[in-house]
Amino acid sequence: MTDIRTLLTALRMGDSAFPSGGFAFSWGLETLVEDGKVNDGAGVLEFARSQLWNRWATADRVMARRAAETACDEEWSDLDRMLDAMTLASELRSGSCQAGRALLRAHAGLGSQVALRWRRLVADGRARGHLPVVQGAVWAGSGMTVEILETLSAWTLVSGIAQAAIRLSLTGPLESQTILVEVTDDIAGILAAPPPDEPHAFTPLADIAVMRHERGDVRLFAN
Amino acid sequence: MGSGKTALLERLIPSFTDRGTSLAVITNDLVTREDAERLQRSGLIEPRRVVAVEAGACPHTVIREDPTLNLDAAERLEMRFHPLDLVLLESGGDNLASTFSPELVDYWIFVIDVSGGGDIPRKRGPGVLQADLLVINKADLAPHVGVDLAAMTREARDVRRGRPVIVTNCRTGEAVDDVVDHIVRNVLFDG
Repeated sequence: MTDIRTLLTALRMGDSAFPSGGFAFSWGLETLVEDGKVNDGAGVLEFARSQLWNRWATADRVMARRAAETACDEEWSDLDRMLDAMTLASELRSGSCQAGRALLRAHAGLGSQVALRWRRLVADGRARGHLPVVQGAVWAGSGMTVEILETLSAWTLVSGIAQAAIRLSLTGPLESQTILVEVTDDIAGILAAPPPDEPHAFTPLADIAVMRHERGDVRLFAN
Repeated sequence: MGSGKTALLERLIPSFTDRGTSLAVITNDLVTREDAERLQRSGLIEPRRVVAVEAGACPHTVIREDPTLNLDAAERLEMRFHPLDLVLLESGGDNLASTFSPELVDYWIFVIDVSGGGDIPRKRGPGVLQADLLVINKADLAPHVGVDLAAMTREARDVRRGRPVIVTNCRTGEAVDDVVDHIVRNVLFDG
């Protein structure tokens, strides 16, 4: 059974009130709405599932787990560079780094030694601070098991999408909760199996939307 | 919203540049990058010294509950243009309840304008009450929108209990020097 303190820590860090900037990213959803590709809650659910199965499970999870399993600056830098190289869309890269740096800032401000080390890596230009790698390193440094931190990483992704959907007028707050209920089985299913050996991702519709977002007139969100 | 925050920035930037202040600007545009691009194209400041931070439709959150993205932008500007004397951060505006986190800013200015209604100060919004400096802009429009500017200013001073209030017309530059003086004294500790 999970230790109550670990559980409380995970709840606190997975809370949208934890100050790490998650509210500013839509990961392509804003443009998909602009383009009429996503129009309702069903579309949001499909988008969330695609992000979970085709990016998070196969890439982010792998990187977060690897980062959690090491405490070596060089290995963290390598993981960060690898994720940077395999992320095609500019605003996916910049968004991941912006969100990762925000997470580092919050944890460093709370005294996390891992976050302080990571901020030095970023300041020295040895890493850019991609979110999944930072999540794995910092949350493991906070005493979380791999299972908990993977759950937290998946949760922050889908809860961010569900919140963005409300602000994009796609769903109401209850419908967004329904979407989160729906994806619970997806997350559990993903976590029940081991991650792939090598990271990869394939979310072409969302990636193209993120690329189009760079030049979009309307940008409530950073990507 | 529309009170003249960007217009005030367009007046402040050359004033500080003339003083030799090393400056950068962050805008929290709500829907577009219009404010950032307006400043970048203004010729008043090197474009790379102006960055936009998107607020995800949460203009209050990004300056109060979770200012990490603005802090990150300020830190990156400082790294790029070290040493900076002053970073001006323009919020997305929105409404009277917005306030800045003390973890984000050292000093904050709340800009309202006469065309928003002469009753704004007496509504005692947290922005009006708590800002270090309240600016009432578009003074010249008062007679055209039926606002008694003297009464509006008096009420603003009353509800702010001695905190400063400056009446400006940013379009012509009227009283902008007073705003600069406040920033110079209270933020740059100079003069």
